[in-house]
Amino acid sequence: MICSPKNIKKLSKPGKLKLFLLSLTLALTAPALQASELNIWVMATTEQQQSDMKELLRPYLAKNPSLRVNVTVLQWESAWTKITAAAASGQGPDLLELGTTWVAAISSMGALEQISDAQQASVGGAKAFFPAVWSSTHRYDEQKIYAIPWYAEARAAFYRTDVFKAAGINPRDAFANWGSFKQAMQKINGQVINGKKIAALGYPGKNDMSVVHNLAPWIWNAGGDLLSADKKKSTINSPEALQAINYYTSFAVEGLVPMASLEKDSAQIDTGFFNGQYAVIFTGPWILKPLSTPKSKGGQLESVTANNFSVAPYPAGLKGQQTFFAGSDLAIMKSSKNKEESWKLLSYLVSREAQVNYTKMSWMLPTRIDAAYDPSLMANLHYAEFVGQIKNGRHYPSISAWGPLESVYLKNIGSMFDIVAGVKGKYSNLAIKQALDATAKEANEVLAELQ
Amino acid sequence: MMLAVNLTPILQGLYMSLLKLNQYTLNQFLDAPFIGLDNYRRILFEGHSPIRAGLGFALRNTLLYTLVVSIAAIVIGLAVAVLLNRDFPAKGVARTLLLLPWIVPSYVVGSLWGFMWQRDVGIVNVVLVDYLHLLDEKPFWLLGANSFWAIVIPTVWRAWPVMMLLFLAALQAVPEDQYEAATLDGVSKWGQFWHITLPILKPVIVIQFMFQFIDNVYSYNIVSMMFGGGYPGEWADLLMPLLTRQSFSYWMFGQGAAVSFIMMTLMLIFVAVWMRSFKRSLANDE
Repeated sequence: MICSPKNIKKLSKPGKLKLFLLSLTLALTAPALQASELNIWVMATTEQQQSDMKELLRPYLAKNPSLRVNVTVLQWESAWTKITAAAASGQGPDLLELGTTWVAAISSMGALEQISDAQQASVGGAKAFFPAVWSSTHRYDEQKIYAIPWYAEARAAFYRTDVFKAAGINPRDAFANWGSFKQAMQKINGQVINGKKIAALGYPGKNDMSVVHNLAPWIWNAGGDLLSADKKKSTINSPEALQAINYYTSFAVEGLVPMASLEKDSAQIDTGFFNGQYAVIFTGPWILKPLSTPKSKGGQLESVTANNFSVAPYPAGLKGQQTFFAGSDLAIMKSSKNKEESWKLLSYLVSREAQVNYTKMSWMLPTRIDAAYDPSLMANLHYAEFVGQIKNGRHYPSISAWGPLESVYLKNIGSMFDIVAGVKGKYSNLAIKQALDATAKEANEVLAELQ
Repeated sequence: MMLAVNLTPILQGLYMSLLKLNQYTLNQFLDAPFIGLDNYRRILFEGHSPIRAGLGFALRNTLLYTLVVSIAAIVIGLAVAVLLNRDFPAKGVARTLLLLPWIVPSYVVGSLWGFMWQRDVGIVNVVLVDYLHLLDEKPFWLLGANSFWAIVIPTVWRAWPVMMLLFLAALQAVPEDQYEAATLDGVSKWGQFWHITLPILKPVIVIQFMFQFIDNVYSYNIVSMMFGGGYPGEWADLLMPLLTRQSFSYWMFGQGAAVSFIMMTLMLIFVAVWMRSFKRSLANDE
C-alpha cells in the first residue's frame, strides 16, 4: 500500500513530483503497452496449418510481444461461402487470405481495404512479385490494389526419367511441342518397369475441382482463351479452344491415359504417379513435399518415382508454351479496427523471410521473385527445375464474375468427360463441339446476369 | 413466440427471392434491388436462364432417387425386422452389427463409397468382376448413367438399418395371441405377415415413408462427397446440389432463394396431401 493517500501525504515535495511524473509516464505509455489482438483467416494448405502458422509467426511475435494473433483455418471447400458472408456482413477477421481468383469479386463487394502506393512500395511493389500473381491483386480494369500475393502455385510436367530412358526418348525433344509430345507418349505407353506396365500419361477427368486449371494451359498454348478480350463473352467454344480440348482428350480416347483415371481427382492422380501408374502427370509444386519426405514420415522418398523423376514445361502449342499460375493473396478487411497492425503483419507474411519459410512448410511457391530464387530453396534440384518452368506463368483474367464463370466451366467441362469416357454417346469432335457450345451459352447467360 | 421463430426465416427467404441478390448486392442484403416475381418468372418460364440449366435432370433424378431410396429402405428394413423379430442365438449382436451403417455420417458414406465405386481398384468392381465373374469388364460407376445407382445404393445402405430399428420396435407391440390364433387356424407365415403384421404396421410405414421422402428430396451430403465437389453429371445431380451450385457457385442468391421457396411449397403440398391420406388410413384402421 505504498501509494495509499495516507502514504502520499507523508512524501516530500520532490517525492510527490517524482510520483506524479511516474504516474504521468504510465498513463501516457499504457495504450502502447496494451496488447493488440488480430484475427486472421487462412486456408488449409499444409497438413498442420494451425501449427505451421504458429511456427511461421513465431519470429514476428517474438519482436512484437504485445501482439496476439488468432489464426482461424478454413477448409478450401467452404472458405468461399464463409468469406462472402464475412464480406457481406462486415463481420470478419482483420486479415484475410483470398484465392487469387477471388480478390476481384470480394473487392467489388467493397469489403477490402485499398492498399496505398506507399504500402505497396514498402513491400517491393509490383516488380518484386511474379507478374502473373500480381495481376490478381486488382481488377483488370482498375489500378487500385486490394491485396498482396502471399504464396503461389503453378503447373508443370513431372515425368519418370527411367521410363523415358527405357523408351529411348530425350525428354527435351518430347516436351518440345504437341507433335513430339504425342509421339513420345505413344512410344512410352505400356513400357514395363520392374514388371509393372506403366501408362504414358495420367490426368483427372470429371470429379475434380481443377478441371479448368488443367485445361487452361492447353487452351492458351493453342492461342485460345477462356474469355473474350472485352471480358464479356465466353470463348470456350472458339476454334482454338476446341483444338486444344480435342488434343487433350485424344490422349484418353487413344488409350494413352487410362480411362479409369477420368473418374479420379488430382490428388488420386498424384498418388498414381508416386505408385508408378503413370510416366507423366501435369501437377503443382506440392508433390515435391512427399517426394522428398521419408516413408517413416508419411512421404515417398524411398519410392522408385522419387529417385527417377524430373520436371519439364508444358509442350508448346502453335501459339505458346504457357502454364497456369495462381495462388493466394492477403488482404485487409475494411471492417478491421486494427488496420495498421494488420498491415504490419501482412508485410511480414509477404516478406522474403516468411515466404521462404512458408515454402519449406508447404512446398507452395513464393510469390516474391527474390524469395523464389532463394539459395536455400534452390538447393533442392527439383524445386529449381520447377521454378525454371514457370516463367511463362499466366493467371486468369481478374474479373469480379470469375468465380461463377469458373463454376460453369467446371460443371460443363466436367460433364464432357462422360463423352470422353464413352458413357454418354460416341466420342467425336462434333460431340465435344456441341458440349462446348452449351458451356459457352450457359457461361454467357451467367456473365450477362452478373454484369 | 414459436410461430415467430418458425416464420421469420421463411419470410426472410421469401423476401430474398424477390430481390436481385448477387455478389454486387449481397452486402446490401435485404436492401438489394426489389424485382418482384422476376426470379420466379425466369426459373419457371425463361428456358435459357442459367438457373434452368440442368434443372430438368435434377428434378427427374431427385424424384426417382427419392422414390427408389424410400421404398427400398422401408422394404429392406421391414423384411430384416421381421426376420430379427424371431428368436435365434446372438440376436442382440446381430441387431447391433446391422445398425452400423446408420451410425456412419452421411459425409463419410459419400467419401467411402466414392472409393468403393472406383472402376479399376474399387471393391465393388473387384467383387463383381474379379471374384464373382458376373460382368465381363469393369463398368464405370461414377461416370455416365450408372452414377444414379452409385448414389442410390449407399443412401439405401445407410437408411435401411434405422427403418429396421423402428419396425422392430413396432413389431414388439403386435399382440402375440393374434399370431397364435392364426397359426391354430392354419394361416401360413406369409398370410400372417400380410393380414396381421402389415395392417398393424401400416401407420408406421406411412409416417416413415413421409420422413424418408422429405429427407431424400433434401439429400446433399452423399452426392457432394462422392463427386469431390465437382458436377455429379446429368444422372446423379439432385435438386439440393443444384440449388447450392446456383446460389453459392453462380452467386445468384435471389434465384437460389426462389428455387428453395418453390421446393418448400411443393413439399408442403406433398405433406398436406400425405397427412390427409394418413388420417384416412388411421380412420380405416379404427
